[in-house]
Amino acid sequence: MAAEASGQWRGLRNVAILLLIWEIVGRFDLVAGGALPGISEILIRLWIDWGDYPRHIWATLYASTVGFLIGNALGIGAGVIFALSPTTLRLFRGVNIAVFALPPIAIAPILVLTLSGMAPRIALAALGVYFVTMTATVIGLSQADSRATDVIRAYGGTRWDVLRRVQFRGALPSILAGLRVAAPNAVLGAILAEFGGGGRWGLGAYLLGSLGRGEPDRLWGIGLVATVIAGLSYGLFALLAARTIGASRAVTLNTAVPDAAPRAGHPAARLALTLGTIALPFLVWWAFIEVTGVPDLISKTPWGVVDYLFLGPTAESAQARLLAALAETLPITFLGMAAGLGFAFLLAISSRLFPRAIDAFMPVALVTQTMPLVALTPLLVLILGRGTSLTLWVTISVTFFPAFVTLAQGLALVPRSAEELPRAYGAARWTEMRMVTIPASLPYLFAATRLTVPRALLGVMIAEWLATGKGLGNLLNQSRGFLDYGMIWTVAAVSVLLSVLFYQAVVMVERRVLRRLGMATAE
Amino acid sequence: MSLRLNRRHFLGTAAATAAATSLPFRARAATPFTMQAAWINDAEFAGYFIGIDEGYYAEEGLDLTYLPGGPDVIPESTIIAGRADLALTTPDTTIKAIVEQGAPFKIIGAQYQKNPIGIVSLASNPINEPRDLIGKTLAVPPVNVISVNAMLALNGIDPGEVNIVPYAYDPTPLIRGEIDASLDFTTNVPYTISQQGVEATSFLLYDFGFTIYNDTVVVTEETLASKRAELVAWLRASRRGWEENFRDPNLWPPRWADTWFAGTGRTIENEIFFNNAQQPLMESPAGYMAMTEEGIEANLRALAEVGINGTRDMFDTTLLEEI
Repeated sequence: MAAEASGQWRGLRNVAILLLIWEIVGRFDLVAGGALPGISEILIRLWIDWGDYPRHIWATLYASTVGFLIGNALGIGAGVIFALSPTTLRLFRGVNIAVFALPPIAIAPILVLTLSGMAPRIALAALGVYFVTMTATVIGLSQADSRATDVIRAYGGTRWDVLRRVQFRGALPSILAGLRVAAPNAVLGAILAEFGGGGRWGLGAYLLGSLGRGEPDRLWGIGLVATVIAGLSYGLFALLAARTIGASRAVTLNTAVPDAAPRAGHPAARLALTLGTIALPFLVWWAFIEVTGVPDLISKTPWGVVDYLFLGPTAESAQARLLAALAETLPITFLGMAAGLGFAFLLAISSRLFPRAIDAFMPVALVTQTMPLVALTPLLVLILGRGTSLTLWVTISVTFFPAFVTLAQGLALVPRSAEELPRAYGAARWTEMRMVTIPASLPYLFAATRLTVPRALLGVMIAEWLATGKGLGNLLNQSRGFLDYGMIWTVAAVSVLLSVLFYQAVVMVERRVLRRLGMATAE
Repeated sequence: MSLRLNRRHFLGTAAATAAATSLPFRARAATPFTMQAAWINDAEFAGYFIGIDEGYYAEEGLDLTYLPGGPDVIPESTIIAGRADLALTTPDTTIKAIVEQGAPFKIIGAQYQKNPIGIVSLASNPINEPRDLIGKTLAVPPVNVISVNAMLALNGIDPGEVNIVPYAYDPTPLIRGEIDASLDFTTNVPYTISQQGVEATSFLLYDFGFTIYNDTVVVTEETLASKRAELVAWLRASRRGWEENFRDPNLWPPRWADTWFAGTGRTIENEIFFNNAQQPLMESPAGYMAMTEEGIEANLRALAEVGINGTRDMFDTTLLEEI
């Protein structure tokens, strides 16, 4: 106990040292000619500006809360249905992966085009929530204690009784853990939509107005407030989970799309199901346009995109521009993905080898996750220029954190006994790492890769939009200026499609490799 | 408790009285009408704010709803989707959409007679004319690349000779010298830069051959047919708002500190600078919001240089004549 307490103190001390370094570097304008202000400068500015904040915070809270509620209602509802019916789960697999993989930056303009008022903000917040909660619900419900289920059955309980008395209770920790991760997603989704969507209130709108002032301390202040809101929402559900279920909470979340057990059905039925899985996301897309009732000129159905890209009078030019953009975006996306994973992997290994240093780094890492990239990128440009290294760093910054959490969990779950064997033979810490820990965490490396894939594309597109002026990110923005709605929808569709394809590719490699090694998929 | 009840009662009565007194006025006035602006609230839209606050639109029989813009908002989309009756746009975008996609738009007025967009640089590293851009790095918002290429072509410069990078609304890279110049509203950014203790210099694309309007007033052909009277009323009230605004450009922005400009993240001093700087760009012998034959001709000529072949009939000046 005493050792633990002193460890905590040491952690706090390290955080304090890091903050002090930040302060000194900021105060003496050591980074990028002063573009990184000192902590005290940011806080003083926050104090001066405080009068502006309440209405913006309120608007952001409103949109993210409504989005959070809607996203979770859909997520839990869908999760229950999926847990009860594996066929439905398989049918919706395509939709689920698409929701997981859609880059918010490509979707935000579409939402602003088709919806109005607060709706784009709420929709983007809800989209950030749905997948996490749905997955947590399915996992929670399917991991019910079979002994308890048997008891209910033996006493003549129905399927509903089992669900109500056993499965829901058993799923609660998992669902609450899902809500905890989902809450900051809702906040970030709302802020992104506020930035572009043309409302007056919300932290995203405030950020847009403040960008033109060239005052980094204001931008960092807004980022800090966003971080605090996201952090508090995370903390709120962590606390709720701790209160309701004591110590038995799940530490992290499954990042896999829940997989229904393959059933040996009629081949024709299986084929129909597969086709349905592929068709459903397009049906949802088409239905969305029908429901919003926005004219054809603006909103493109799947067929509209095909028409634009292959049949229309400008098809040839559209294809050429799209291919040129993809040629610029794809290579750097792969590179960024590798870099993000590599960074996360190094960090995860270091956290085993030098836990204290990494503990101190974590608060800083968390800030980079909630600091809006639209505010950060112009400052990064000053340090890194506008070349490949900037794109890579932006991509690393959006990919490494979830990958790191997953990997760290994997490393922590390696059986003690396996680790002790090399140690007993006098192996060094690193040898033990190489021979046991790393191979044993392979399933988690795959899980982390799955997480990284769509985020890497997001990072690259943000860098292209704000700094390098290349590829898909730039094409999307130029198309807005040209009222080229066909291209706006095409870029959104292609970026989602690419993310889904990458994701599926990782899943296939993962299955193959893990099967050969006799390992199970990490959840 | 009784006090609270009394107060509530009082408030209720007051509200009812207010509603009752405004009823006949509103019953006469309320034709709902929505306009989509091009950007967030700043001095660029001062004339409309005055028109709303001073009741100019109401006097014309319009119940005006004002929608601010933002980076993801394409003003033309809002009128196509029927969420607004009228939008403020950039003419190059609008005319390109009419020509290439057959979009059913008509331009019925123009706020800026000279587009305020220009090349902003630091006085210590000045870019005074298009030639100076050769070999330099210029930050341009992706949506405006078309305008810059046009200006370069008009001045016999190969766009390949200028290193064009995206502009992300933040002047910090310019102030720190990471870029040599940026494309922005010359009515706005030089002030921001001066606040950082650095002097800026700028020139308009307009003065180097790219002679287009900005914040063109655009409607769909359908709205033009069905709401002609309202559109004329809107133009009349808006002109009045701008006339009032420029009687003293320093007067209005401070009054909006707690209303139109509350929480925008910008300063009132910045808006005053903006409001003064935009006056010469909006004035026309034919009055505010006007479109003269020479002006339209200049727009079409400049756009033709970049392959956007608009025609005179995309502009409808008959509503302005009815003001």
